[in-house]
Amino acid sequence: MAEMEGLPSRFYTLHFTFCNLHWTERDFVLSANRILEGVRILAFTTGYAGPYAGRLLAGYGAEVIKIESKKGGLDTFRHYGQHKDIDAAPRFIECNLGVRSLAVNLKHPTGARLIRELAGKSDAVLENFRPRVLDKLGLGDDELRKANPKLVIVKLPGFGSEGPKSGYGTWGFNLTAFSGMTYLWNHPEQDRPIGSQGVYPDHLGFVMGPTLMVAALLNSRRTGKGLTVDLAQVEGTAYTLGTTYLETAVNGDDPKPKGNHYAVAAPHGCFACQGEDRWCVISVRDNNEWQSFCHVIGRPELVGDARFADPQSRLERRAELNALAQQWTQRRSAEEVMSKLQAVGVPAGVVQTGADLLKDQQLRHRNYFASFADSLIGPFEIPRSGILFQGMAEEPLRLPNRFGADNDQILGELLGYDHATIEQWRREEVLT
Amino acid sequence: MTDTTQTTSLLSGYRVLDLTSSMGALCGKLLRDLGMEVLKIEPPGGDPTRKEPPFAKGHAHGEGSLRFAYLNAGKRSATLDAAKPSGRKLLLDLVERADVVVEDFAPGQLAALGLGYEAMIERHKKLILVSVSGFGQDGPYAHFKTTDIVGNAMGGLLYISGDPKMTPCNPPETQSYYYASLFAAYGVTLALWQRETRGIGAWIDASIQASMALHEHVAFNYSAEGRIMKRAGSQHQHNAPANLFQCKNGWISLFVTQNHWPLLLKVWQDHDPALDDPKWINSNLRRQHADYINSQVTSFTSRFLKEDLAELMQKHGIPGLPVNSPSDFMRDPHIQARGFFAEVTHPVLGIFAQPGSPFMIDGKRGAPAPAPLLGQHNEEVFCREMGIDKARMDALVKEGVI
Repeated sequence: MAEMEGLPSRFYTLHFTFCNLHWTERDFVLSANRILEGVRILAFTTGYAGPYAGRLLAGYGAEVIKIESKKGGLDTFRHYGQHKDIDAAPRFIECNLGVRSLAVNLKHPTGARLIRELAGKSDAVLENFRPRVLDKLGLGDDELRKANPKLVIVKLPGFGSEGPKSGYGTWGFNLTAFSGMTYLWNHPEQDRPIGSQGVYPDHLGFVMGPTLMVAALLNSRRTGKGLTVDLAQVEGTAYTLGTTYLETAVNGDDPKPKGNHYAVAAPHGCFACQGEDRWCVISVRDNNEWQSFCHVIGRPELVGDARFADPQSRLERRAELNALAQQWTQRRSAEEVMSKLQAVGVPAGVVQTGADLLKDQQLRHRNYFASFADSLIGPFEIPRSGILFQGMAEEPLRLPNRFGADNDQILGELLGYDHATIEQWRREEVLT
Repeated sequence: MTDTTQTTSLLSGYRVLDLTSSMGALCGKLLRDLGMEVLKIEPPGGDPTRKEPPFAKGHAHGEGSLRFAYLNAGKRSATLDAAKPSGRKLLLDLVERADVVVEDFAPGQLAALGLGYEAMIERHKKLILVSVSGFGQDGPYAHFKTTDIVGNAMGGLLYISGDPKMTPCNPPETQSYYYASLFAAYGVTLALWQRETRGIGAWIDASIQASMALHEHVAFNYSAEGRIMKRAGSQHQHNAPANLFQCKNGWISLFVTQNHWPLLLKVWQDHDPALDDPKWINSNLRRQHADYINSQVTSFTSRFLKEDLAELMQKHGIPGLPVNSPSDFMRDPHIQARGFFAEVTHPVLGIFAQPGSPFMIDGKRGAPAPAPLLGQHNEEVFCREMGIDKARMDALVKEGVI
């Protein structure tokens, strides 16, 4: 690991004062995007959670080298969409920003050997293959650690590396179902489960994975020893349903779907507004919010109404109150509902679409979108991160490197092989 | 590995001061599960989460909230009224001893109490402060009030969730709070790394809206392809069959990609021969004709029990899992064998199985611990650790500070 003690990687911001272009010492700002500078991570990842975990590490400065092969080892997201170029799948680009690419055939003995060598010059491995896939290629934890006892390994298998069902093939979509979340994610009293069209567990995995990675790197830095972290994505999902499981464990209940009901607010829910498929959510919790709500909707007389005097009585009459909210919202735009209610301190929010997000003034204020003027899929903007480091600079994000683009630099400069050897491996289909 | 404590606690030795209520609580919980020592500071009347349902049966009071019990499992609790001058002073003493402070006050509220980032770093230069809020610490919506559903709405997840013929449907519990809290915890590990390598502290601004707005490619799809994602029930946007399918006793979740399609046809021996047409290998085509594909697949799945069908699918390498209830999940032999749930004893809630850490370190899982009672660690923290004598402690309690 490149030692950076006392040698912060600074970069300089240009400031314009009227017509003068000048540098000032005050403007030396540390970059949040270089916090992990000097950390090298080998990524054996495919799909959403693993690659995006790599992207979030690369976005904060780690050198993430993604290892793939056209010999049966391409990231599945390279095939999503209508394109022929494996570098031009929108889904792949989204999940692999800032990641380098090494094309090595792991099924070739020389390919596996090169990876073991590379592990000796790396700090960590990130992988989301099925359990034991890497072991079978001679790239198990012990093999990889032979060249580097300090190596940190973080795995994100769906069902974990051990246990009777660890060999199961799972996607985030399936894990949502297995955890109980799909069943719970529904309006009450429906005749079929709905859940989500998406893959919520992947989102949990790709933020918990990097957290565990940095935590494990801190540990290894302290102890001088490597370690293996195994994050079962299904347990990551269950981590967000703990209260529900306690209802079963402590009370013996079997919790049912609650839809948009929230135990501490009424009126509460998602209400139709003017326009096609336009909605605004409203949450009224305490008496202050209730009073403000009544005034905004033009029903000040309800403030003194004993039937709605406190949160508990409002919860008991929530159907009535939700109908009242709906009457008011349906004649207004979602934006008007939000701004009128928020202006008096009542939680409310437009149910935003993708188009709404791109023009959201708060997200714009946060410089939330990284902008790419040109790419294999044309110009696009993309979310950066859920967090900001206050007072630190943010640099532009980078596109993924093209498939195999880093072969020469990694094998040549990092591992020290000469051009002829690399060319020979190319012919022997070690590098493909 | 020889030392158990070292292998299951990645970050032991770090101290966290947790000033959160429910919005940022999961951040402190994950930091605790990473091995840090987390001290929750509650107002003398208790964290408002203690008043949030669900409650243990017969315990609809401050020590019976299951929501509090889960989100604060393994933390310590001390009480402090930070609005009082001597409470503020004590809190800053605690800040000085902490590595990390987690808070979820409305932006500006701590600063108004004289406890903002500037006041904190005056006492501890390399402090890591992490703030969880609805929209971030500054900007046009920074003052907006948030609840979970507001976070999901403004972040774009709500619009695509649920049956297209119905009102958008919020996920269970308070996922937008949790998700921003997990992002906040990632920020903490990054900031600790930075402190080790650059020697400086940090202030991390975690936004619920920003955390949710990267979900499900909602923003990116619109920007890159001009496509507005809409509610689609349980139908995945790229694949079919990738949906929930009826079985004899419930539902199964199937996710069949290009690679799995031929495997599915093999197991499903009496499928309509029309499906053997090689054109159907193309996932995009199957997705375009999802209604047709789904109704065909249902004629197959409806013959099985969901558990049996999941096993059959997995035996043939096809991703399929049953739609479980929470208790189905808790009883599952795989989850049981992995020891995800472990027994804890709580003075009010009794003995029960609590979810543990979602990860293992070198094959070992850290042990879960119960949530603290209100102010359970007051004496331990204020007297034993901070050296406040008995008389002063009594005076502080009398003043309502502790």
